[in-house]
Amino acid sequence: MSNIYKKYFSIKVAFIPLIYLIVISNFAIGQNNYTISGKISDAKNGEGMIGVNVYLKELKIGASTNVYGFYSITAPKGKYTLTASYIGYNSVSKEYDLKQNQTLNLELVEEGKLLEEVVITGKREDDNVKNMEMSVNKVEMKTIKKMPAFLGEVDVIRSIQFLPGVSSVGEGSSGFNVRGGGIDQNLVLLDEAPVYNSSHLFGFFSVFNPDVVKDVKLIKGGIPATYGGRVSSILDVRMKEGNSKKPEFSGGLGTIFSRFAYERPFLKEKGSFIVALRRSYIDILAKPFLNTDLKGSRFYFYDFTAKTNYKINDKNTVFLSGYFGRDVFGADFGFNWGNSTTSFRWNHVFNNKLFLNTTIFYSNYDYSIDSDLSNENDQDSFEWKSNILNYSIKPDFNYYLNSKNTISFGGQAIYYTFNPGQAIAVSGGQSRSIGLDSKYAMESALYIGNEQKLSGKLTLNYGLRYSFYNYMGPGTVYTFNENTTPGERKQITSTRTSKKGESIKNYGNLEPRIALNLGINNSTSIKLGYNRLAQYIHLLSNTVASSPLDVWTPSSNNIKPQLSDQVALGLFKNFSENLYETSVEVYYKTLKNQIDYIRNADLLLNPAVEGDLMYGIGRAYGAEFFVKKNKGKFNGWISYTLARTERKVEGLNNNDWYASRIDKAHNISVVGILDLSKKWSMGTTLSFSSGTPASFPTNKFVWQGIALPHNYTDDRNTYRIPNSHRLDYSATRKNKHALFGKGESEWVFSVYNVYNRKNPFSVYVRQNPDDPSKTEAVKYSVFAAIIPAVTYNFKF
Amino acid sequence: MKKILSIIGLSVSLISCEQVIDLEVKEGVNQLVVDAWLTDEVKEQSVKLTVSQPYFEESAPKPALGAEVIVYNQDSTAHVFTDSNNDGVYTYKPKAGKFLKENEQVALAVKYENEQYYSLSQLKRVPKIDSVGYEVFSFPITPPDGGPKDGFLAQFYANDLVGEGDTYLVRSYKNDTLRFKPTDITLAYDAGFSPGSKSDGLMFILPIRQSLNQTLFLDKDKLKVELFSIPTEAYYFLLQLRQESSNGGIFATPLSNIPTNIFNLNSKSTKKALGAFFVSKVSTFETIIDKNKAKPKQ
Repeated sequence: MSNIYKKYFSIKVAFIPLIYLIVISNFAIGQNNYTISGKISDAKNGEGMIGVNVYLKELKIGASTNVYGFYSITAPKGKYTLTASYIGYNSVSKEYDLKQNQTLNLELVEEGKLLEEVVITGKREDDNVKNMEMSVNKVEMKTIKKMPAFLGEVDVIRSIQFLPGVSSVGEGSSGFNVRGGGIDQNLVLLDEAPVYNSSHLFGFFSVFNPDVVKDVKLIKGGIPATYGGRVSSILDVRMKEGNSKKPEFSGGLGTIFSRFAYERPFLKEKGSFIVALRRSYIDILAKPFLNTDLKGSRFYFYDFTAKTNYKINDKNTVFLSGYFGRDVFGADFGFNWGNSTTSFRWNHVFNNKLFLNTTIFYSNYDYSIDSDLSNENDQDSFEWKSNILNYSIKPDFNYYLNSKNTISFGGQAIYYTFNPGQAIAVSGGQSRSIGLDSKYAMESALYIGNEQKLSGKLTLNYGLRYSFYNYMGPGTVYTFNENTTPGERKQITSTRTSKKGESIKNYGNLEPRIALNLGINNSTSIKLGYNRLAQYIHLLSNTVASSPLDVWTPSSNNIKPQLSDQVALGLFKNFSENLYETSVEVYYKTLKNQIDYIRNADLLLNPAVEGDLMYGIGRAYGAEFFVKKNKGKFNGWISYTLARTERKVEGLNNNDWYASRIDKAHNISVVGILDLSKKWSMGTTLSFSSGTPASFPTNKFVWQGIALPHNYTDDRNTYRIPNSHRLDYSATRKNKHALFGKGESEWVFSVYNVYNRKNPFSVYVRQNPDDPSKTEAVKYSVFAAIIPAVTYNFKF
Repeated sequence: MKKILSIIGLSVSLISCEQVIDLEVKEGVNQLVVDAWLTDEVKEQSVKLTVSQPYFEESAPKPALGAEVIVYNQDSTAHVFTDSNNDGVYTYKPKAGKFLKENEQVALAVKYENEQYYSLSQLKRVPKIDSVGYEVFSFPITPPDGGPKDGFLAQFYANDLVGEGDTYLVRSYKNDTLRFKPTDITLAYDAGFSPGSKSDGLMFILPIRQSLNQTLFLDKDKLKVELFSIPTEAYYFLLQLRQESSNGGIFATPLSNIPTNIFNLNSKSTKKALGAFFVSKVSTFETIIDKNKAKPKQ
């Protein structure tokens, strides 16, 4: 008990100076201040707008709207001109006399149609220089929709792979890697609920329906205290709220799947909703061509996304959003997997200065396998289910203390249930249930942060997050022989049964976050950021690309939480009145308690799986160069990343640093969008990346007629596979009228892999298929063809 | 599990491709390779000794000649294997009831180029195969491997012996041709695939029972099934052998060396051997496919 008290006390001690800092630094600020606050929304559909710049001309002070469109500015009594501006929208200015606290809601109108075409990001024009954020990339859906897409299907996660610092292990792999982090080290949020597997069809498409996505933000460094739980990045995807002005249908017919969305206001525009559905139809198209035996084959995915909001009054708005997606695969056997999330949110405005959002969410990822779907054979079958499930509550406060300080504070509690595998096997009529115990854990956090303008030039954002994790019973607790030679399987030395609710092991981590923005002049700034992050859940995956079968596992008495520390430094400069924005960032990141696997690791349905894990440290460092043209008929960006990602694990590669499997030295992306006319626009993307590391044998030996590989030094990742590069095109033709002569529509033509490059996904060695005593090396390409596609989108 | 992943991989393969390429790899050191898989059957037993070679070298492996090969029973009875053809294949012709005994530890000693290597293996029990059955079966399309589109799908029936931790290997012959490509290797842990499957004492699960059907059988085909008991370390050796032999695609695992159970008596010596030594008991079942006895199509 005293230990817990001590821990609690030391946490309190850690938070106190921070609170003092906030209080003392504001002591001198006068009392005759009033606050103006409100919500900024899009005049077209009533959607709250994120990141709108609200500015008082006379005082040269301003603020940005939060993710719900809320802003608050405090200033002394006086007459002011308040301007709200957002790129791609007409600015609105309003003169008013500030003599009491007041609310001012504004609507912004999109600029003329043609101008809209050239919008790249939805943010204020010099945001990249002025904003606190560093290592953050925002891509607007408008841009994503114009980039050439694989099979014509607009995709959030494929698009962010063109940003600096983001890569993947290969075309068609699921997830993405940020600054040397694994795919499980990204916190992928859909309306604040985590998504555990962001892919459909193994990685060809992501789970986000582009028709419902409002805002996409990727945070790679300088991560604010409000976020936590993963060590590499935050991908914050916000859904549309639904048109609160008029009913609208939108959708698309594509080569692979079709989309349909409907949104409308209800209850006199006090509320609105959006529902959207996607389904792939390869299976439907293929059906007539299959004979009876394959008639039952299924291979499709679908997802359903919905959101509604209701404004109870000026002070209270509630939101409910949900996602349900499924991939289904199989003929006689069935294999299906998918995510579902539900989040309920309540926005409450206490007063002009204090804003609260409380989110309650549920998230689940599960898969199941059934060997005999039609139940023809009740003598022999196999059924297997696995999932990760969590519930969470998360209150977040924004307190607009004064014009110099915006404080955010709050907390989060997540209750996890891990079900690594429940299976029933029937053989010869006898049935066995093969079950692994479910595992339970509670992750909670408290945080406070402040964005403080110290002077006209210097802004600080500092915060502290304390995360606390409790691995709980019931369940079987295993201990392993820790004296095992590194790299060998650790045997269980003891097991015991823990009681329900019993704390088996707990961990706590203080996670300081700090960021600094020093303005050199109006168009130049230097930013510096440091963050520590802790991650308590881990995805066990020993394959090149993560598979849908991979299982999440909690930190336990054997697995320690992952920790990362990252420092990033950046120079941001805009040219020609923000027409061009440029940045250079360097980062250095260290990682602790990184999981690796012994040879022949058995990760599925293995109660002693923790004995097959090894732990090491990691480091990642690099430089990211970014040039972007924001406006004009021709716009787009070039990004170049020079990076290194290494690991050091006892028992591997002579206990030395070695290149991790996601290491790519060079990564270049070029994105170009050309608006030819009101009718036509074109998009092109070009990407290049260095080959990932690979391991190859030095020798072969023959055993029972089979040639087998052997590496004399037994080192991993000492070779590189060849580089990858690819060019994609797209052309969009806008039509004035959609179906039934109403609304608007467009044709999107795209060509993926224009010059038919066979990019290597992996290179591996094998026996010659005709003579297993002979050996050869094979280059494997996932996409080995030019892939054209046509999509028709409509809206009315 | 690998199987499910490979089925998934297959669906991806519609637009994917594999190209054989030239690859330059570093040179390693050639080592002694012991290929010793003995059974308690009364027929000639052999231990093959070769030397490992650079990975892409085309020539056949060089035999390790002039070695001394002796197999010892647990009671130290020695059985000397000799290379009468001078081709690195050391043979021994056991007499009935005079070679290996169930449950005993068997030792292999190899003396080669002044180094002494040894290995231990246990002769484990094996259940008998009760029967073989087959049913009429048709593939929707002609299989790309050249096998028939219509024929008979066979399975053997046997039960795992009660008591956890038995490990087995299944292999089969069609018209006296052994099918033993790495992908044909079927391993069982009790009646299931892996230790987690808690299948002790059950009938072997369906995918194991049907593992004989590399291609469909035709009427009058001769089918022979062999069920080998193997020690646990052999199960893991073969598991990894299979893994490293079919390790492509998007769900490949990192290449890692296949563990050996051959050790140098002088643990400080830099000379290490590769390969494995196992002893097995074998159950066999032979039948001629008769279309009149086949179960009708389901």
